[in-house]
Amino acid sequence: MTPNDISQRLRATLAEFVADWGVDADITESTRIAADLEFDSIDVIQFVIVMEVAFGTRNLGFQNLLMQDGRYVDDLTVGQIETFLAGRLATV
Amino acid sequence: MTRTLLLGLDGATFTLLGRFLDGTDEDGVVMPYLAQLVREGFSATLTSTNHPLTPPAWTSVMTGRTPGHHGIFDFVRFEDMGDDMFFTLYDSRDIRCETIWEIASRQGKSVVSLNFPMMSPPPVVNGSLIPGFVSWKHLRRNMHPDTLFDRIKTFPDFDPKELSWDFERESKIGEVMYDDELYAWVEKHLPRDRQWSNIGQRLLDEDKPDLFALMLDGTDKIQHQAWHVLDPLLWHGEGTDAAKAVRRMVLQYYRDVDGYIRDLHAAAPDAHVVIVSDHGFTGAMKVVRINMYLEQLGHLFWRPSDGSAAAERRDMSNFANLNWTRTTAFCPTPSSNGIVIRRKSEACPAGVAPEDYDAFRTRLIADLLSLADPVTGEKVIQQVLTREQAFPGAAMEHCPDLTLILCDHGFVSVRKREPAVMDRPLAMGTHHPDGIFIMAGPGVAPCGVRGAGGRLAIVDVTAIVAHSLGLPVPQDFEGEVPERLFDAAWLAAHPVVIGPVTRSTAAAAAAQAAQDPEDGQREEMLAQLRLLGYLED
Repeated sequence: MTPNDISQRLRATLAEFVADWGVDADITESTRIAADLEFDSIDVIQFVIVMEVAFGTRNLGFQNLLMQDGRYVDDLTVGQIETFLAGRLATV
Repeated sequence: MTRTLLLGLDGATFTLLGRFLDGTDEDGVVMPYLAQLVREGFSATLTSTNHPLTPPAWTSVMTGRTPGHHGIFDFVRFEDMGDDMFFTLYDSRDIRCETIWEIASRQGKSVVSLNFPMMSPPPVVNGSLIPGFVSWKHLRRNMHPDTLFDRIKTFPDFDPKELSWDFERESKIGEVMYDDELYAWVEKHLPRDRQWSNIGQRLLDEDKPDLFALMLDGTDKIQHQAWHVLDPLLWHGEGTDAAKAVRRMVLQYYRDVDGYIRDLHAAAPDAHVVIVSDHGFTGAMKVVRINMYLEQLGHLFWRPSDGSAAAERRDMSNFANLNWTRTTAFCPTPSSNGIVIRRKSEACPAGVAPEDYDAFRTRLIADLLSLADPVTGEKVIQQVLTREQAFPGAAMEHCPDLTLILCDHGFVSVRKREPAVMDRPLAMGTHHPDGIFIMAGPGVAPCGVRGAGGRLAIVDVTAIVAHSLGLPVPQDFEGEVPERLFDAAWLAAHPVVIGPVTRSTAAAAAAQAAQDPEDGQREEMLAQLRLLGYLED
């Protein structure tokens, strides 16, 4: 799967994920899931499930993206998630 | 035609319902229809899972297996990263055993399953399934079939925000609320179960599924917070006006529930109606900050705080916030009532070496059992179960090493606060192993007196439902259909048949593959996992 394929699948999945939420934001590389798409912690957990289903594996190791220096990160950009997925999908 | 109505009342207990049914309460008979079912049917005490908690217990109802086999032990699972701990939620993909919804579906029975936990993402069933414990933002994606949301949104009064799980609201469970605040909190739970009942009634009327199952969980939530106005030992009708108002609101909730049961049964009067809880309820008076005690024992080290608001929020959360490079034993969540003993490895040098494990665990059990209230001297932990005692089975390695049963059946706290043991200002509702089983319908042997059916195990429910549907009881179910439940004529015409074992789930196959079996078997399992969508080709 190429980085472009990953990006397209991620953004399509994310757009469907927030479709009912009434948020008004384009999904670009710089879109922040908390600040722009109004994710809360439960949404992050649900999104991990959706991504694992979308990419066909539970071994993506999202904990390495979501935790930094012992804390859950406050926010993530779409670009950060794409970079993470590209790295992980190259190894699983 | 609907053969079986399985109605779940989360946390229902005869301790309360007994008075609501008998009319011995100051408010008279609160649940007349349930009282009639008890009089005309069979009722018993239903023993919950060894740790009586909603996710493992309802999963046992759904699978007919105990947690050591089905693999769900708590709301939360965690992954030990050595220098950190990642907490997330269990979901349906973690269940290692087939559910009764799937077992019935693959044998041609139609199913409606509403509001049962651990059902997200939803399994494919021959009918409709809406999981419980899902926020409104995720309802549409989590329904089966994927057109169901558009169907139910046409139902009168449908409101996804009322129907769904409000994580912020429910996170207040366990906190002391003044009665004015509690009144408003309880009030918000009434429309939620009304929404579930409305949807259930429409799906039952229109689809007439062979198996209709609905779980109502307002009972549990309300009992947690309003126990002081409900417990017959605590409420004598002399509370404040605010407390009396809370009690009136709570009783209205139970009257509503009684009406839902009546109306659902009226839609399928020839069906078996099976009413069960996942666990019972009682009152807890102790606060037991178990991680504070583990710190005193030298097994646990807190994560230093930088004083920030984020650090403060993290410290007050219900997930242990520890120095993972030094901690040897910890309680991960209040709901677990469990102690995890970390194993020594390259990633986790602070863990206990394999050769020291048995001695460490034995010493820790003794230390836990010696924990006492500093004021009264009373021991606050009545029993410590090892994982072999609490959750035997193939999934046992994922449960806590020790499970604590407190003197009052309360849940522990994982917060960093002094003292380790103290009394609560107000009794808090907590889970008790003794729940309820009530069944009525064709061939059910009436036992007349509430609870006179004795004691059933929670895994018996699944066997009873399978039998009621006219299905064989799978050989690997751990429960049974008690002979005393039916009259002789029914059993002669409908003998209990034991059938083939249930099918493996993706979670079970993944766990098996992870054990690194022989190459030939491994290839076979990997092929199965690909088929189930667990692995990419």
